Parts: sequence; structure tokens; C-alpha cells
Amino acid sequence: MATVVPVDEFVTDEWYPGFKPALDHAGWAVEPFRTFDKADEERFWFLDFHWPRGLTPMGLIWNEDGYSWGTQLAAESLPLPPGRGITQRIAGTHTYAAAIDVTDEWEIGERARRMMQNLPRFLENFEGTWAERRAEVDSWWTHLQSVDLRSLQLPELGGYLRKARQFHKRAFEIHFEIMYPLLANYVGFYGACTEMGIDPGQIAKFLQGYDTKIMETDRALWDLTRKARNAGLGEVFAAHDATAMRAALSAHGGAAAGWLTEFDDFLQVYGYRTEGSCDIALPSWIEDPTPALGMVKTFLLKDTDHDFEAALANAVEEREAAIDAARSSLSREEQEVFDAGLASCQAANFPWWQDDHNYYIDLRVSLPMRWATQQIAEVVGADASDDTIFLFWPELLQVVDGERNFAEFKGIINDRKQYFDHWYGRRASMPKVLGTIPEAVTDPILIEIFGLNSHFLTAVQAAGDDSDVKTLSGVAASRGRARGIARVLTDADELHRVQPGEILVCESTSPNWTPAFAKIAACVCDGGGTLSHAAIVGREYGVPTVTAVGLATVVISDGDEVEVDGTNGTVTVFKRAEHPDEVVSA
Amino acid sequence: MSLVLDLDELRPDTATSVGGAKIGRLVEMGAAGTVVPGGFVLGVDAYRTHFRASGLDDWIGGIVRSLPADPSDDRVAAASEEIVGAIRQVALTDELCDAIADRYAQLCKRRGDDALPVAVRSSATGEDGVQSSFAGIFETYLGISGAVEVIDAVRDCWASLFGPRALCYRLERGISHDDMPMAVGVLELVAAKASGVAFSVHPVSGKPDRIVVEGSWGWGEAVVQGLVTPDRGEVGKSDLRPLRYTVATKKVISDYDPASRRVTEREMPPELRDARVLDDEELCAVADAVRRIEQQYGHAVDVEWVLARDRAPGGPVHVVQSRPVTVAGPAPAPAAWSPASFALKYAFQGNR
Repeated sequence: MATVVPVDEFVTDEWYPGFKPALDHAGWAVEPFRTFDKADEERFWFLDFHWPRGLTPMGLIWNEDGYSWGTQLAAESLPLPPGRGITQRIAGTHTYAAAIDVTDEWEIGERARRMMQNLPRFLENFEGTWAERRAEVDSWWTHLQSVDLRSLQLPELGGYLRKARQFHKRAFEIHFEIMYPLLANYVGFYGACTEMGIDPGQIAKFLQGYDTKIMETDRALWDLTRKARNAGLGEVFAAHDATAMRAALSAHGGAAAGWLTEFDDFLQVYGYRTEGSCDIALPSWIEDPTPALGMVKTFLLKDTDHDFEAALANAVEEREAAIDAARSSLSREEQEVFDAGLASCQAANFPWWQDDHNYYIDLRVSLPMRWATQQIAEVVGADASDDTIFLFWPELLQVVDGERNFAEFKGIINDRKQYFDHWYGRRASMPKVLGTIPEAVTDPILIEIFGLNSHFLTAVQAAGDDSDVKTLSGVAASRGRARGIARVLTDADELHRVQPGEILVCESTSPNWTPAFAKIAACVCDGGGTLSHAAIVGREYGVPTVTAVGLATVVISDGDEVEVDGTNGTVTVFKRAEHPDEVVSA
Repeated sequence: MSLVLDLDELRPDTATSVGGAKIGRLVEMGAAGTVVPGGFVLGVDAYRTHFRASGLDDWIGGIVRSLPADPSDDRVAAASEEIVGAIRQVALTDELCDAIADRYAQLCKRRGDDALPVAVRSSATGEDGVQSSFAGIFETYLGISGAVEVIDAVRDCWASLFGPRALCYRLERGISHDDMPMAVGVLELVAAKASGVAFSVHPVSGKPDRIVVEGSWGWGEAVVQGLVTPDRGEVGKSDLRPLRYTVATKKVISDYDPASRRVTEREMPPELRDARVLDDEELCAVADAVRRIEQQYGHAVDVEWVLARDRAPGGPVHVVQSRPVTVAGPAPAPAAWSPASFALKYAFQGNR
């Protein structure tokens, strides 16, 4: 008997107050983005971890350009034999995603035949292809960044906005054009390794220890931390909240002013980066450096610097040792398969790309659209700079094209902001899954990145009796064991609550969570696989990590004591946090 | 033609027809350079002569023919009990007893031990076939000493041709016991430090690139009968390189019991329970012997091996038995790396 989680509560044809889209309002490759209807209950939907706050009307563009265009186009062109990419619905402001299955056996076979031809070609040319795509993305970026928006009139801003959207859409074509084949190759190699009896916990290590743009950013941030400590700024950082840090440092003058200059130089290189993936609602570090300053503040709490050189050298050493150990247990014939597979995965290294690409795409690609919406807000005299992201794309085009007056929208923008806040408040209690829970899903992105593997599906099926759960299981993503106090976070904004030695419990992590790995004792995620961000960073930092736990953020309460076994993929909840009511009555 | 022959007197090309499947293969392996224990064999003619002259043949034939087409286990067990009882009632002829006693005495003399412990092994015609292996159905007695005891053990081996499992097995396959007369080998018992079995392909996956060795302390009966979880090692076949080794907790040992003058099972001495049985040199020596036997026969084999107590590094591995391995399905060679094939197999099946 299949487990079905009803969708009724979320069935509506209104996306946000006052907006019911026209059918052709956005492009799509296989299936358009929309709200839930009752028939969707027959499919399997899971809460997407990328946007823990929910998405604003303009933010929903990602669902159109990323999922309904990027994943579907890539899945059709590789093609994925059993799937046409990812589709999605919104419940309130929260995104649920699902696979689009190919069900006809003949068609699956035909698609497999094409994949067999295309995948090797792609892999052979990966290095050149990724270099070309990066250059293309950089070219778009440089161009869009070079425009002085303050000099533009409303119609020209409209032109810029359309171009920024084109960049956004193209970036996600590239993103999934690369991601599907790279991931398929990695998963195939993973399968070959397990077939040869290699410990699955070792396989990701074979591909670790290659430097990425994200690691480069983290290193630069630690450099700044060391400089702050050496300049005697520890007390200034300790005394002020991150939001007030820039002002405090300016006021402090002297060494602090010098440090700020270096910090601004850092931002020019690494600061075009948002505190979350692909969301127009998020500022870059340049616009709001609070997150970066907050990280320096946190890092200063640790007595010692994080030694990146040593960590990288250690990762490389561990990689080579893991490869040697695995090879020594293989016969000559198996070694030939292993060596060829490893060479293929090293040349087209998915775990590396999975971190590296965030710098080029996910963390900056929404910024030009954001700049445009902010400047439009300025030009039309909006009350707040974020008013314009509470308009939908067709509405904003009507404004810039002079078809409608911005003032007409002021009331609805207020309603929509309240609507956004209402659903943000509901995030923690949103169902992790909706519809009909399947035995298995086939899309490798859903399995490896979202963690919709057997652990997860079993956990969500058993959701009804979670009251007695003491031991949770998931994917052993980064080995080691640690015990500590759980910090259950819904958002990277809350990272400042995490103290050194505590255990991070969250839906999932993205690159902006990375610096926290230098201080946490362990990490537990609802989603993810061996290749999700937390898994990769957990291994780089030597932090025991378990992913795909399914309901960690539901079962574990903030302040619980938990033990994380990253080697075996288990999380044991030792002691529930005292319930506040009980404390009061005691 | 003599009914009892020294193994040295058998020629590889006729050894199987004279001495049955197991002894035949021992002679073939010995001729090809594998170290096998010495001894003598009561040939299939000894069996035929004894069973025909005593009237057992006709009598047994009558009982087997009287069984219904699809007999119950109880019926088979009753028939078996009747036949085995009768075989044990009928004494061997004086001539045959004298021949056995004489060969045993010669073997004792050669080894300088007048109560030399021996292994008495069934060697039926047609056992170890690829279609029907009769694996583990016929008896082997380890550690027998004294002519009278050897003669009793010979008769017990013959009786095992009609044990309930043997009867059932033949009935299911429509094989007549007339077509598988049983020779019996009387072989010098190698003083075993460790023993076990080995496969020239992986017995489960069928991978042909490795030799899998299982072993424990003492003699191999506990391993063969599955009474002990043995250590398990794998060796690359092409380069004889140790690939992996798992030390098991071994709770039972087949050891020589002077009181009963048999190799029997007892609790493993504590200091040996978790001790690694084979070092790399020994592991590879076993694998080397197995590889040679596979090359000799041109097909996959399983082998029972013994490491003698006095074996020094570089010394021989004794092989006491081998037969064609029975693995389900063809043995897959490791597929060459092909990203698309492995992606197809693993990335799109939803089986993670």
C-alpha cells in the first residue's frame, strides 16, 4: 500500500495574491511550472531545500529557468533514459520538485541508445567544454557588470532586465548540460567500484583534494581572519554584532581602517556572491557584507587558524592512500577497469565541479536581475528597493514598458509581502514530501543531490511513528564520530547561533554554509547524498556528516544531545532538550 | 587384474576407470606435478566383485526397484537403513581383506609407523560430474589406523553409496547405482597444520580473475561440512597477488583424537580462534597449486588442500581432492571501463 501525503491544502490556481499566470507566460521544455492540482497527488513531490525562506514572485523565475528549462532541456538532450528532468509546484511560496518519468519501455531503450553515444563524447571533451562555458558565463557577467544602471531610463532598464534574464536562463542551460553527464559518469564509476567490492565510504575520497573557487574564497576569508587577529582587532569583533561591524571598524580607525581596505579588496574579487543559491531576493556580500564579517567574527572565536594548506595536503594524501588501498584489493583485470574509470572521473570530476560551479553560476547568476529590479524600484519611486521583486515577471515588464503604472501595484505588493512572511513562518512545519511516495526514483540528481535514496524514502514512509525515534539513519557522507549539542537551523542566516563543537542539523547546506564547517563537530542533513554540498565539505574539513536522514530537522530539537556516526550513517538522539514549559513549572 | 592397487601403479589415462572419480583425479594431478598423498585404492572391480559374489547387488536392486515413483522421505530412509545394514553384515572375502592388510602394512613400513593414520575416501564412478556432483554425499574417514579399522572404513564408504541422501539424489536424477560402482582410496593422512578448500573462480559471482581460498586450523572436514566459518582470502589469478583476507572467528577444529583414533571435531583452542590461518606466502602457494590444476584441466575447479605441519616457506601444498566447480551461469569477465554502460547500469535505475 503506497503512502500518500495529500496535496489538498495547497491546491490553488493563484500563485500569489493577485496573480494567475497566462499559459504562455514563461518558456518550458517538457512541463511548465505551476501550482498544485489534485491530480498531482499521484506523483511524488519533495520540499526543495534550496530556498528555506520561500521564493518571492521574481524569485520564482528560478523554477522556470532552472527546472522547467535547464533540467528538462538537459535531460532531453543527453538524454536521461528514464527521465525528462525535474518539474515543480509551489505550496504557498515553497517549492516542491518531482521527476518527470519516461514510462514507455521502447522509448527508454531508444533514449538509452542515444545516451550511450552522447555521454562518452561529452566526457572526452569535458575540460574544453567547461572552459568554453565558463568563458561564456564570464563574458555575460563582465558585460552585465559593466553597465552603469543609474544612467538608464526605464525602457533601457527593461532591456537590461530582459538581458539579465537571458543570462540567467543560459547559465542554467549550461549548469544542467554539464551536471547530468558528469553526475551519471560518477554514479556509474561508483557502481563499478561497489561491484568490485570497494568500500562505498571510500569512493568519494578518490576524487577529493582538488582546489575549487569556493575553497579559494574560504581561504581568503581565513587570511582576513588571521590579519584581523594579528592587527589586534579581536576585541572589536567580539564587542559588536556583525550587522554593526563595518561601522564599528570604521569608527575604530587605525589598524581597523587598514583591515577594511583589505576586506573591500577581498569583496571585489569574491564578494559577488549571495548567501544562498539562485535567489533574486538575496543580496551579494558587496551589497551587504554582514555574512562575511560575521564569519570573520566567528572564526576569531576559534583559538587557532584553520590550516588550509594542511587540510588540502591531508585531503590529497588521504585520496592517494584510499586509491592505493582500493587498487591493492583488485585483480589486474579489475585494476584496468578501475584505473580507466578513475581517470575518466578525475578528468571530468563531478564532486569538484559540484563545488566549483557555484562560484560561476549559482551564487551570482541572479545578481544582474536584482540590480535591475532595484534600479527600477528607484526610478519608479517605490517605497522599498525590494518592492519590485514582489511583482511577477510579466507585471514588471508592463511597468518598464510603460503599459502599467507602478503605483497600481502598491497595494498588492504589501499583500504579497505579508503572504511571503506568512509562508516563511510555516517553513519548519511544511511537509517534507507530498503525493505518492514511490519505492525508488530514477533521476540521478534527485538521488545524489537531493538524497531521494532508499534511506530517505524509508524515513519519510515511517514518518507516522517518529515519536519514539532515537536512532536515525542516513547516508554515511563523511566518516568519523562526534557527540554534541544539536543546533537545528532552517537558514544560513542563523549560523551565528552555532558554537564551536556543536552539531549542525539542517535541511541541507549550500556554499554559504561552508565556513561553519571549520567550527562544527558534525553535520546532519534531511536531504543530500554522498555528493551533496555538506558531504563534500564535510570530507574536506574532516567533519563527520550524515545526509539523507529524511526527518532530522523534525525529530531532533534544538539543544538535544546527539551522536553522529559518519562512518556508519547513523544519528543517535541521546537526550531530548528540556521542554521550556517543563522548566517553567519545575 | 588386482583388486587393490598402489596409486603409483595407476596410469593417468586409465586411473578414473580403475579408481573412480576422486582417486582418478588425484593420480592425474600427481602426474602433472601437484603434490598428492600416497596410498592405495580398492578399485571399482573390488566393489563389483564383492557386491556381485555376495548377492548384495541383486538384493539391493530388488529393494530399490520396489520403491514407488516418488517415494516419501520415510520410505527412502527405511530402504537406506535396510541396505546399509545388509552391507555392514556381509564380510569382505579373506582374499580382499588380506590384500588390504598387506597394502596397509607396506604403507606403514614406508612411512615408519606401524599404526599409520590414513584417510579412507570414497571414490565413486561418475561422482563430481558437472551435471551431478554428489558433493558431500559419500563418506570420508580421516585418521583411521590399523588394518581391521581400515577394512571397516572401506565397508562404511561402500555403505555411504546407499545413504538416504545418495538414494534420493540418484532417484531424482534417474541414475542407477549400477552405473556408479565405488572405489575406495586409502591415503596417507597428511599431518595438517591447516586445511581448507579453494576455488579457481569466485564461487558466487563467478569472477574468473581470482582464486578464493578458505581455510582453518587442523584438517579440512569442519570447513567442508560447514561446521566452522573459515578465514577467507582472495588472490589475483594472473599475478598471484594477495587481494584481500578476512580473519574469521573459528569455533570448531577437526583434530586428531588419539582416544578414538579418528579425526573428529572439537572446540577450537582459544589461542587459535581469532588467529590468522594463512600468511601471504601460504595463501599464494595454495592459489598457485589451484591455478596449476585449473590449467591442467582447462576448466574451473574447486580443491581441498592441506598444509603439512612440517611445511617450510616455499614448500609444497598437498591437494587431497579436486573437482569441476559448479557455478551457476557463465563466469563474467570484469567489463572494460565504459562510462555509458556503467552509467546505464547504475545512474538511471533508482537503485541507490
